[in-house]
Amino acid sequence: MKKKITFDKEDEEFFGQVGSFGVPKFDGEMNGGVPRGFTMVAFTETGSGAELFAKQYVSPAEESENTLYVSTNEGQPEIVRVFKKYGWPLDINVRTIGEEYNSNVLERELLASRYRLEGFRLEDIQRLAQTRFVDENNQDYLTEVTNEIMALGPYFRAAIDSLDFFLQRDDPNRVIAMIRMLQAHTQMYRGLLLISVSVHGLSPSIRQELASIADMVLTFGVRTVGSDFETSMIVSKFRNAPENLKMLVFRVTPEEGITPETVERIA
Amino acid sequence: MQAASTYSRDRCVTGIHGLDEILRGGIPYGSTVLASGTCGSGKTTLAMEFLVRGALAGEACAHFTATEPSVKLLENIRQYAFFDMNMVDTGLINVFDMDVLYSWLGLDKSTFDLDDVHALIKSITDIVNTIGVTRLVIDSVTTLCYKIKSEQLIRDFLFTLGKKLATLGCTTILISEITSATENAHWSSFGVEEAIADGIVVMGDVERMGHLLRFLQVVKMRGTSHSRAKHAIELTPLGVMLTPMLKWGSQNETAHWGA
Repeated sequence: MKKKITFDKEDEEFFGQVGSFGVPKFDGEMNGGVPRGFTMVAFTETGSGAELFAKQYVSPAEESENTLYVSTNEGQPEIVRVFKKYGWPLDINVRTIGEEYNSNVLERELLASRYRLEGFRLEDIQRLAQTRFVDENNQDYLTEVTNEIMALGPYFRAAIDSLDFFLQRDDPNRVIAMIRMLQAHTQMYRGLLLISVSVHGLSPSIRQELASIADMVLTFGVRTVGSDFETSMIVSKFRNAPENLKMLVFRVTPEEGITPETVERIA
Repeated sequence: MQAASTYSRDRCVTGIHGLDEILRGGIPYGSTVLASGTCGSGKTTLAMEFLVRGALAGEACAHFTATEPSVKLLENIRQYAFFDMNMVDTGLINVFDMDVLYSWLGLDKSTFDLDDVHALIKSITDIVNTIGVTRLVIDSVTTLCYKIKSEQLIRDFLFTLGKKLATLGCTTILISEITSATENAHWSSFGVEEAIADGIVVMGDVERMGHLLRFLQVVKMRGTSHSRAKHAIELTPLGVMLTPMLKWGSQNETAHWGA
């Protein structure tokens, strides 16, 4: 049976049909913003500014408690530093999976290799003799993140930056299945979901799957022009609005973060 | 003519009622003894009493449990009056949970390779060496070896472990589970344990008038003469008691080593 969700009238008025990308000029380029219920997939290149875009995308935080930023590469202090730098709200929910993984898994692995290489010290032995239960470290981050997003209510805003972490550690088919669930949840709850994934090392079939699930596909690129770097984003899919497909060159300013260049460049 | 002096090896006095008599004084110091038996034959109790008696004599003891969680083992053994939980709490008997040890060593795989086996040997010998363990029990070597897929690797593991422990002066009981054994069968699950062990003690049941009586038989013990007769075991609150079976006679007796 299809789940029926009722939306509050006031909420409908407040949130409207579209939400901001967090980049006002980009909202303008996309004819007002991103339609509520959209799942966006951003294929990214290293150094293309996608990490900053993901943070900027959650910055509108219409409801901070209903906004979630999942980072798999950065730690809390780094994220807070960037948010402070641009004056973005700091009261949103942030999950730093990379940091958790480092302390839960990598530190254990490091300790295990120390035990294997150097052996146990007396205090280790005493602790081992008093330890009766195994500390479960097989945390399923994919399920946890999926559940966390699924728990967000109507008009939520969430970003997963990036999917690489899960694709490297889980069965890619399982990751895709979870993304399908998240897409359905986003659509049903009129949420906004951004998922970034690095193009390097991504298999064509997974890329194709992700692109077909997404309502909007962005590609972040970087190239050298003379002695400068030029960063760009390509909107290659925008469900039901093909007029929005375009390529935008953008720059990063200390005031606004990512800003598309709206002035026609002379080649 | 002067009579040749007889050399006698130092003994690890087990303290188990009747066992030292069977072994003419105890297990030769530093031996690796395989205690093979069917389920419920009293292997764990016997091994734990071996440690308790050692701890009471001031020896450092260690027990590695792979068959059941250490919490469960301690709960089960607490019912015996000979066992005092303070021995564990104060570190006289060090009980190690193999699952915890595996986790600490990062041995989360279902099967162990050569590196893993070496890591395991190193850890056990490190523990024995660091805390000066003179009595060690591994319960059971069968469960532990299930993770080692190659027979050659099992042989290397047991042989190296036994050799290192003997060098460290540690008398070891390796518990082995046998589920189906006849008189012609192996005394161990993998067939290699019995070949590397210095001693083999077999434990099982005999049926007598509709009752299953536990028995123990020392099949082999290098470095000492010993009785090879079957002895009845009784697990009393005060400990294991061994008495010669002959006093009950041998009529209508059927050996039950799972056969």
